[in-house]
Amino acid sequence: MADLIKLSGLKRYYDVGGEIVKALDGVDLVINHNEYISIMGPSGSGKSTMMNMIGCLDTPTEGTYEFEGEQVHEMDDNQLASIRNRKIGFVFQTFNLLPKLTALRNVELPLVYANIPRDERLEHAKIALEKVDLTDRMHHKPNELSGGQRQRVAIARALATNPSIILADEPTGNLDSKSGGEIMEVFDALFKEGNTIILVTHEAYIAKHAHRTIHILDGCIEEDIVNHKSKARKKPRKQKATA
Amino acid sequence: MFAYIESLRMALSAIWGNKLRAALTTLGIIIGILAVTLMGTLISGLDRSFEKSMSFLGRDVLYIAKHEWFGEQEWWEIRNRPDLKVAYVEKLKSQSKYVKAAAPVTMRTVNITREDEMAMGINIAGTTPEYMQTAFLNIESGRFFTEGEDRSGTRVIVIGYDVANALFENENPIGEKVKIGNYVFRVVGVTEKQGKFLGLFSMDNRALIPLGTYQRLFSRRGWMRLDIKVDENHIADAKDEITAIMRNLRGLHPEEKNDFAINQQDAFRQQYQTMKIAIGGTGIFITVLSLVVGGIGIMNIMFVSVKERTREIGVRKAIGATPSSIMRQFLFEALLICLFGGFVGMVMALGGSILIDKYIFPSTLPVSLAITALVLSSVVGLIAGLAPSFRAARLDPIEALRYE
Ligand SMILES: Nc1ncnc2c1ncn2[C@@H]1O[C@H](COP(=O)(O)OP(=O)(O)OP(=O)(O)O)[C@@H](O)[C@H]1O
Ligand SMILES: [Mg+2]
Repeated sequence: MADLIKLSGLKRYYDVGGEIVKALDGVDLVINHNEYISIMGPSGSGKSTMMNMIGCLDTPTEGTYEFEGEQVHEMDDNQLASIRNRKIGFVFQTFNLLPKLTALRNVELPLVYANIPRDERLEHAKIALEKVDLTDRMHHKPNELSGGQRQRVAIARALATNPSIILADEPTGNLDSKSGGEIMEVFDALFKEGNTIILVTHEAYIAKHAHRTIHILDGCIEEDIVNHKSKARKKPRKQKATA
Repeated sequence: MFAYIESLRMALSAIWGNKLRAALTTLGIIIGILAVTLMGTLISGLDRSFEKSMSFLGRDVLYIAKHEWFGEQEWWEIRNRPDLKVAYVEKLKSQSKYVKAAAPVTMRTVNITREDEMAMGINIAGTTPEYMQTAFLNIESGRFFTEGEDRSGTRVIVIGYDVANALFENENPIGEKVKIGNYVFRVVGVTEKQGKFLGLFSMDNRALIPLGTYQRLFSRRGWMRLDIKVDENHIADAKDEITAIMRNLRGLHPEEKNDFAINQQDAFRQQYQTMKIAIGGTGIFITVLSLVVGGIGIMNIMFVSVKERTREIGVRKAIGATPSSIMRQFLFEALLICLFGGFVGMVMALGGSILIDKYIFPSTLPVSLAITALVLSSVVGLIAGLAPSFRAARLDPIEALRYE
């Protein structure tokens, strides 16, 4: 089986008025199925840029990106949209739910873009909401939900298409520690069900939930360590350090 | 197909979420469509009532009179023309091979009374029985007067439908007596209901008496018209021949101008065409103007909408919306707003046409025009929505997500 994700010599430069900002400057990384990874690093080190890259929202300036054997760096906008839809689930710091849609409709949305018939869509969306324990709130709109509940809806939306990987950029950044803890429980549970998760965080106690922590500094991987005392008890099937 | 339905639903719910704005935005389109449909309704109504009026004037009937219907002669030129004479009728009939029937017509306005009832302002025409052939007239009950009655100046009268109704409500007028001034007439016939000529002159508010009687009781001089029915296959030839005979009767030298006019239905047609072009041109101008203004309004509001919903677009893209599905969503939104405007405009025009039909003249909104209106508003929507939708489709997902 191909690696889930393989980044080689990946660079992302921004040209800001003639000055080149090296947001990512040569990243090599391999991620396997059913890994639970946290990414840490100071502000401006390139964590979000890397997440966007992995999430196929952005394309590299240089280097290659393989996702389940597909060459992402060669894809056009439509192919990128399709791979985001089918293979990737995003969770954002600011939830990013559509305010006019109910929780159920928000969760249903990725399935709309996957061209799945309506009945089937609702069924999948309800299953996803069940996983985050929000069935009783599915007809509520985002502004009728607490921050933690909103983030759970966002997680359900990320799960809806049954993606290969879930990417969460500071998912607890806007939450109090109690709600943050609940969100981490959801991630832990999803990992135990066999999902692959990458999350960005500034908090060491959150990073400890993961089995592997990658430290980034100035657009390069500084450290990539396996965390044997992870809070999520199930061990990953394979553990491979990157080159 | 499936994706189209979904885009349509998204567009619908976006419009629903901003009902007032959509309604205000579409005002320009409503006015444009209202203008085009009302104008079309008006013209089609005019057409119909014009054609109906024209049926009072036979295509193959020439009307010889002192003036041209739509002439450019000065009034004094016409004033000096001699009156037409009854005697011309026999001359024309015997000298022209194209004349099928001919009737002199002279007219005045009178009041007709019967006991306590009075019909006021009735056009009373003196003519001969051949009028039945030159005019498009049917007798509802009774009969027209005869040649004998004309020669002997018998006081018989054929009354119009409205006159009969005014004087003889629920009674049979045939054989009854009516009075014009002090003269007593016997009603011999009632003409069928005919309606108005060009929406102005009622053809039912009149009466006909024998020319002989008219001349004996009222006047031998004054305004007269000769209605000449000619061979319908040789109308132009007939006109030439009759002109020649008339010039001969009047004793005109070749260099002298005609001192009479030969009028035809065609004169009305030409006049009407000019008017129609003027109305139609104004209508098209208003329509194009308001559709352009409306379209720009839609484009503007769509740009605002795209800007406002930048983050939403980012989210949709992040979870897998393709550029074309975003494009479709916004294009449908513009299309639906315009289509709604077109529909409202059409419904208002429909209401307008019902009012016109009731109070002005018969008219209906033609189906083809309704379809044109909807197609037109869709086209405006598509064109106006193109640039904003394209901008939405091209947004970079990361930047869109970061947009505050
Ligand atoms: N669109 C852009 N244009 C120019 N420079 C950018 C752009 N996006 C990111 N950068 C730069 O790239 C670098 C990495 O940014 P990034 O957002 O990845 O940092 P981060 O690690 O996520 O920081 P934080 O912890 O504050 O979220 C920063 O120096 C930033 O200024
Ligand atoms: Mg960041």
